[in-house]
Amino acid sequence: MKPARISGSMRTLFILTFCLLLSVVPLAAQENTCVQCHGSLPGRYGEPVLLWKTSVHAGNGVYCHECHGGDPKDMTNAMNPSRGFKGVPKQTAIPETCGRCHVGVLKDFMGSAHGKKLGNGGPTCVTCHGNHAIKKASLDLINEKTCTKCHPYERARLMKQAMQATEGRITSLDNRIQTLKLQGKASEGMEQGLFNARNRFHTLFHDVMVEKVRSESTAIDKELETIGAQIDAIEQAEKKRKIAGSVAIAGALLAALFFRLLGKTYDN
Amino acid sequence: MGQEGRRLFLMTCIGGVAVVTAGAVAYPVISYLAPRKGKDNSASVSIPEKDLPPDGAKFFQYHGKAAVIVRKKDGSVTALSAVCTHLGCIVQWEAQKGQFICPCHGGQFSTDGKVLGGPPPKPLELLKVTVANGVITIG
Amino acid sequence: MTLISKLYDWVESRLGISEVIQKEMTGYLLPRTINKWYSLGSVLLFAFALQVISGILLLIYYVPDADKAFKSVSVIMNEIPFGWLIRLCHAVGSNLMVATLFLHMFSVLFMGSYKKPRELQWVSGFTLLNLVMGISLTGYLLPWSQLSFWATTVATNSVGAVPVIGEYLVEFVRGGKLVGPPTLGRFFAVHVAILPVVIAGLIGAHLFFLKRTGISAPPTRNNQAATTWQGGAYHYDKHEGGIPFFPNFFLHDMTSISIYFACLLGVVFFSPYLFFTPDSFVPANAFQTPAHIKPEWYFLANYQILKIFPSEIIGLTVQGAGMTFIALLPFVDRGDKRYPLQRPLFMVCAVGGIALFIALSIWGHLS
Repeated sequence: MKPARISGSMRTLFILTFCLLLSVVPLAAQENTCVQCHGSLPGRYGEPVLLWKTSVHAGNGVYCHECHGGDPKDMTNAMNPSRGFKGVPKQTAIPETCGRCHVGVLKDFMGSAHGKKLGNGGPTCVTCHGNHAIKKASLDLINEKTCTKCHPYERARLMKQAMQATEGRITSLDNRIQTLKLQGKASEGMEQGLFNARNRFHTLFHDVMVEKVRSESTAIDKELETIGAQIDAIEQAEKKRKIAGSVAIAGALLAALFFRLLGKTYDN
Repeated sequence: MGQEGRRLFLMTCIGGVAVVTAGAVAYPVISYLAPRKGKDNSASVSIPEKDLPPDGAKFFQYHGKAAVIVRKKDGSVTALSAVCTHLGCIVQWEAQKGQFICPCHGGQFSTDGKVLGGPPPKPLELLKVTVANGVITIG
Repeated sequence: MTLISKLYDWVESRLGISEVIQKEMTGYLLPRTINKWYSLGSVLLFAFALQVISGILLLIYYVPDADKAFKSVSVIMNEIPFGWLIRLCHAVGSNLMVATLFLHMFSVLFMGSYKKPRELQWVSGFTLLNLVMGISLTGYLLPWSQLSFWATTVATNSVGAVPVIGEYLVEFVRGGKLVGPPTLGRFFAVHVAILPVVIAGLIGAHLFFLKRTGISAPPTRNNQAATTWQGGAYHYDKHEGGIPFFPNFFLHDMTSISIYFACLLGVVFFSPYLFFTPDSFVPANAFQTPAHIKPEWYFLANYQILKIFPSEIIGLTVQGAGMTFIALLPFVDRGDKRYPLQRPLFMVCAVGGIALFIALSIWGHLS
């Protein structure tokens, strides 16, 4: 039951993120001492804050101490190791640092060829995702510039190709479902289906086996097709309604014409 | 065409439109009012055997109507429609007498559905029942 | 054939139907100059009947319970065969009915038909307009969407501007401090039981007044079509030599009704979400006010008036005064002239008033 496991871990992730949000929101109001101090420092001490401000982490209220430890409420002891300050994580400790929140992804990564080379010249999370200016994950992260830092692009290109079509399909289905939703159409089932398919698809991002990516993408495409068929059916019904409506309107106008013509015969 | 002819023609047209309109209104309204099919109305019903008390009966919904399973004296299980064949009330189980009694007019039925007394004209309908692995399946 | 004629004779000898038909239909004479605007009343009767029928059909599946209302409307829209059609006819129909009421009122205004001896028609008609707005307002809450919930919150809130008892009045209208399940209960009762009966009764009175005074003739420059009524004793406007209601004007009515119906279907099939916003498809959430919540288009002017005055009580007073003025118009504007171009002061006020109403509505929509 792979999908169930994944959606389970997604739920954990969601709850974790939610708890983090709750714990962080009041802090933001009190001004975070890390951001306050480093933000005003020049050069390499201040730069991380500027980069972080553009990141998906900043947008979701994930602050410095989530990764670096320490106490953002206490200015004097903020960087005291006794308050859990870790500083810059060691190369090999990066996946577990990120994995504290991204539980499912950590598992996928560690099982992959990338993860197995950890500490032996293999990449870590930040190799592709960056560290402070971390971006929302997307297929764009697989690109020639990043991948050729370590190996030829060829395999990565094949994988990206296999996934690109699916990614596009998910985005377009999502847009169509949102349109239907704004029209009050029953979209819950389709949304749930797409959510599951998307999660299943996103776990592939850390798998670096071309064949597996291909076969999984095909399976996911099948799921997407059923959702697409449901949307088609609704859109088709909508078209039929318009045709029936045109006939009904024509009928009403025809009736108006007949009534008027008959009325005319009495008018003089 | 004279005035009279024109009127007759137009009235016929209006009559035609009226008939079509009546149909075009009636069809959606009747579809709207038509009873909705239950999701698994035709499916069989499964009840764990432990839910049936040794000398008792268990009532449940079967194909949208009331039905009952009862354990006979010999230990076997029968399933019956619980709708009295007289006027459609729901029969009640009388454990001491080991028979069904209809509260409306006193119709009496055996565990096989046979009429033992009172006004019911027909026996209760028997339903297909199988017992396997501690699960009673009706239908 | 003989059976039918026998049956007819049997009924006729007891009820005298032919006399009723002669008096109310073929012998009911209308002025020869009568125009299309006069058929708007019949259009409104048709619109009201459509609301009643579609409303009864919706009652079959709608559940007036705060926990289930939204779901039940969603089921009507998505699962029940043709539920969408009936619901859209009801929702769109209410909007078109209000629009037609405005047109009906404007035609009466410009043709001066509200003048004596037809003051009662005007007062009952203006009351009907307000009651129809009231039934629309109460119906707005029933789908229990974000839009319903917050539009009702805003609307009921304005009652609070009434001095002294305002706060209690808001609570009384809502059935609690805030809009909630008790509000749904009372709005539902008002929407489906009280207002329809009151409106139907008042329509009856409106028609009774019309039949007793006789219909007004459209004014022209030379002929003010002034009633022959001089005051004092009861008098009926006969329109000797006029056209019969049936079949002549009845066919005009049917033409207008068919066109109205075509317009309704046009919106229902080709622009069904004209009167809905995305918030109407999100269930009510008492802890999250959506941005840009607006009342229905016909309340936008009232909404804007409340906003532009520094205190709500002034806004409410201005509205009350305006409404009272319109309601009592026949007692204020007592001149004999009915042709609009010969009533310059009236024309300036009426055109200005309508322009102001439209401007306030647009302002309310954009602000």
